[in-house]
Amino acid sequence: MAALAEFRKASLRRELESIVGASAVLTDPDELLAYESDGLTMLRALADFVVFPTSAEHVSAVVRLANREGVPFVARGAGTGLSGGCLPAEGGIVVSLMRMNRVLEVDYENQIAVVEPGLVNLHLSWAVGRRGYYYAPDPSSQQACTVGGNIANNSGGPHTLKYGVTTNHVLGLEVVMPDGEIVWLGGRTRASAGYDLVGVFVGSEGTFGVATKIVVRILKKPQAVKTVLAVFDEIDQASAAVSAIIARGLVPAAVEMIDQLTIQAVEDAFDCGYPRDAAAALLVELDGLTVGMEAQAERIVQACRDSGAREVRTARDEAERQLLWKGRKSAFGAYGRISPAYMVMDGVIPRTKLPYVLRRVNDIVAAHGLRVGNVFHAGDGNLHPNILYDPRRAGEEARVLAAGAAIMRLCAEVGGSISGEHGIGLEKADFMPFIFSPDDLALMQRLKNAFNSSGLCNPGKIFPTSKSCAEVGPAAYRPHAIEEKGLAQRF
Amino acid sequence: MPDALLDGLRGLVGPANVLTGIELGPYVIEGRTPDAAVFPRSVAEVVGVLALATEAELPVVPWGGGTAAAVGLPAARAGIVLGLSRMTRLVEHEPGDLTATVEAGVTVAGLQSALRARGQWLSLDPPDAERATVGGVVAADASGPRRHLYGTPRDLLIGVTVVTAEGAVVRGGGKVVKNVAGYDLPKLFIGSYGTLGVVVEATVKLRPLPDAERLVCASFDRLKDAGDAVRALMSSDLVPNAVELLDGAAAAALGAGAGLGAALVVGFDGLDEQVVWQCDELARLVTSLGGRDPRALPPEAWARLAPAARAAVGQPVAVMSFALLPTQVTETMEQGANAARARGFHTAWAAHASVGVVSAAIAPEPARPEPAPLAAVLAEWREMAHAGGGRATLEWAPLAVKAQVPVWDDPGAAGRIMQRIKREFDPRNVLNPGRFVAGI
Ligand SMILES: Cc1cc2nc3c(=O)[nH]c(=O)nc-3n(C[C@H](O)[C@H](O)[C@H](O)COP(=O)(O)OP(=O)(O)OC[C@H]3O[C@@H](n4cnc5c(N)ncnc54)[C@H](O)[C@@H]3O)c2cc1C
Repeated sequence: MAALAEFRKASLRRELESIVGASAVLTDPDELLAYESDGLTMLRALADFVVFPTSAEHVSAVVRLANREGVPFVARGAGTGLSGGCLPAEGGIVVSLMRMNRVLEVDYENQIAVVEPGLVNLHLSWAVGRRGYYYAPDPSSQQACTVGGNIANNSGGPHTLKYGVTTNHVLGLEVVMPDGEIVWLGGRTRASAGYDLVGVFVGSEGTFGVATKIVVRILKKPQAVKTVLAVFDEIDQASAAVSAIIARGLVPAAVEMIDQLTIQAVEDAFDCGYPRDAAAALLVELDGLTVGMEAQAERIVQACRDSGAREVRTARDEAERQLLWKGRKSAFGAYGRISPAYMVMDGVIPRTKLPYVLRRVNDIVAAHGLRVGNVFHAGDGNLHPNILYDPRRAGEEARVLAAGAAIMRLCAEVGGSISGEHGIGLEKADFMPFIFSPDDLALMQRLKNAFNSSGLCNPGKIFPTSKSCAEVGPAAYRPHAIEEKGLAQRF
Repeated sequence: MPDALLDGLRGLVGPANVLTGIELGPYVIEGRTPDAAVFPRSVAEVVGVLALATEAELPVVPWGGGTAAAVGLPAARAGIVLGLSRMTRLVEHEPGDLTATVEAGVTVAGLQSALRARGQWLSLDPPDAERATVGGVVAADASGPRRHLYGTPRDLLIGVTVVTAEGAVVRGGGKVVKNVAGYDLPKLFIGSYGTLGVVVEATVKLRPLPDAERLVCASFDRLKDAGDAVRALMSSDLVPNAVELLDGAAAAALGAGAGLGAALVVGFDGLDEQVVWQCDELARLVTSLGGRDPRALPPEAWARLAPAARAAVGQPVAVMSFALLPTQVTETMEQGANAARARGFHTAWAAHASVGVVSAAIAPEPARPEPAPLAAVLAEWREMAHAGGGRATLEWAPLAVKAQVPVWDDPGAAGRIMQRIKREFDPRNVLNPGRFVAGI
């Protein structure tokens, strides 16, 4: 959509200011630039306005205004998304939730918390940590990403292998619907009357409205945690070890794989204690009761040895454990140091297909004349091939996109999915037909109609289209702020 | 029902698989007999049945094992029962992936025994597993005691294939355990009671069978003390897989001691040493809070836990289920029983206490100090639940009672979204019309 004519823009600005206050509306192009993309910097689109509401009523009034004027709008959390999900439509309104970041209530006895959407994921765990609780979904971006963004993308993280992804932890939502009505979906109890609207809102990538309050479950911290590092000379052995662990009847809290390129990048940058010459390493974490922990760890060690691990060691203390996790969690930051840019891919495959698929991924990327680092949630088959490239070199970005598409096709071919946690957004809208038939997509469209009939709420996302509104093209790569910080972590 | 339609159905699935007249006995709901019951063998046949029914504008009632068939209001018009009991294939089970894809008519017990042979299980234990089908469990959002640790269908279902009212075969979700591509359609079909589409296939997450499992029971003089034990358990380091609270009547029905105030029944699984240690810890914990005689129950007791309240009253005249904040459970059980007693009704109560899900059954023979209006008790119960921020569903009652007390809570503003979804998915209102919330 074309940018609004100047006079109309000025009057809209006044109206927005009267809703949220003058200091909570941005229109200066320089300021808008910061909201032009999310963590996927390849895609960009400029909004006309960014507003910072502080209440559901604000959001509702902004949304009603947008409806009256026929202006598209999109919710935005921290902007760490990796699929262009919070990109505005050209000329639209970005509704930033960053000033709605309070923990409203914690009910320890019932193990629930009520939070605002702009709350940073990790801050929730901090808030309840003193009392021995935590919020389980732990995306690697948890220092920056918001609970609202997590809801929209149904985000995962290393520990979602055992504890489930965001949707398994959300009980209720206050939502400003795409027409501005404020509605509660679900609540604080485990069941509510009618269809599971919470279940479909989670993962709807901001196309079903704006979440303004979120009721989540908080969990008791486990009694004990044990972290095992297994080192392999061949990547196939590491893949096989994942299946071997599962075959032994174990469901660890996390099973993460890190390949050689990534290990070397991490070691160069942070010195976390991974052997630089290893083809791959598995980071396996067990948690739960102290009783039985040794016996379970022994099964893990044995499964890794039987799969050919050259070295298996257990973190001796919390410091060593933190260091191992730092290596895993700062991998993205480390790529930033060895390559001017990289593209994070996200796909899922059946676990048993890991050896085959990893070989093919490496072949595909090599065939496109590029390098790839793999660091991913191996336990649930959620791949993250990270394709390194230099956007200043002519044609390289196009090759990245081609390799990425080929990897997505591969995931689809082996019965997997084109996204495990980053969402479809703009990036993968055109890949949806890889795994969904026209009938599948048509039913999804009908569900969308039931929530968002005008289409003004986050248009252009998820559904395939031949052209997209966003500008795609070489841009100077900008690392996300949290990558630059090296993602120091907690745990 | 027009003969042409009947002939069409017979031609489609074979005459032996179309029931009419007196054969329809098992499919009568609350005195209402359907026009026919049809049992397709394949997805294509399901599509065919729906096409014929839609064309004739006859309602369709999808039917798994029939264990939840009486939940909700029966269709205002008779129609066709679409039975899935011939669709029982285990389509795919790759142990290494911890997933399985099954046709909707497989019974839960049947699936479990196939999986058990390969060291795995679906961590879901709905009541009546011998009859309940996977499709029905999805549509009714059924679960059991182990939901404390393992959740409900929404935590385990990763893909569905449904046939829509208009005959489209649609797949939602997928076959991998983590997947955020597109909208989460599987969630929409869970608990939709057959009003949005016919579930014909489901893909579920599995777990390895634990090395050991044990069920422990302790008796309490007072329900309140048992409730305190639940709280203490929840803030301890123990990791139970089930936390069940039974009032005296339900405890007696379970065979967990007659004449006492309440029983707390807790399950543990894992490695042997974990189970043993936790059982010891639990014994210590309950004893310090007035629990008596902590003891192991036989494995058969598992299946009797969820239906314990119903079983305690014989043939109940009404069953209401509640979703409450866990801290409201004991109070609701006590007050609810008192409210019913004041009107001359005996009741029995059982709860998945840690998640706040409670079931209450009303006995058929009221002691009658005054003529006892059943509807008044149920309405009072619902109000109690709402006052504490909870919800209530009238799981079972005679039609005359359902006419006075709504089966479902009013979903409020969200109900309008639900109605829009129903209109989008089933524009001609063919699937279970009128059965569900908000007139859906
Ligand atoms: C270094 C790095 C590591 C990452 N690691 C992981 C990981 O391990 N696992 C994982 O799942 N993801 C990961 N991500 C992706 C990203 O962090 C998640 O998708 C996150 O949930 C996005 O949160 P956000 O607040 O940044 O949302 P944004 O990027 O601002 O928005 C994401 C989507 O949410 C919508 N949205 C935001 N707020 C609301 C609201 N209140 N109501 C409705 N819709 C809303 C937006 O419209 C958009 O569609 C990573 C990203 C980076 C940069």
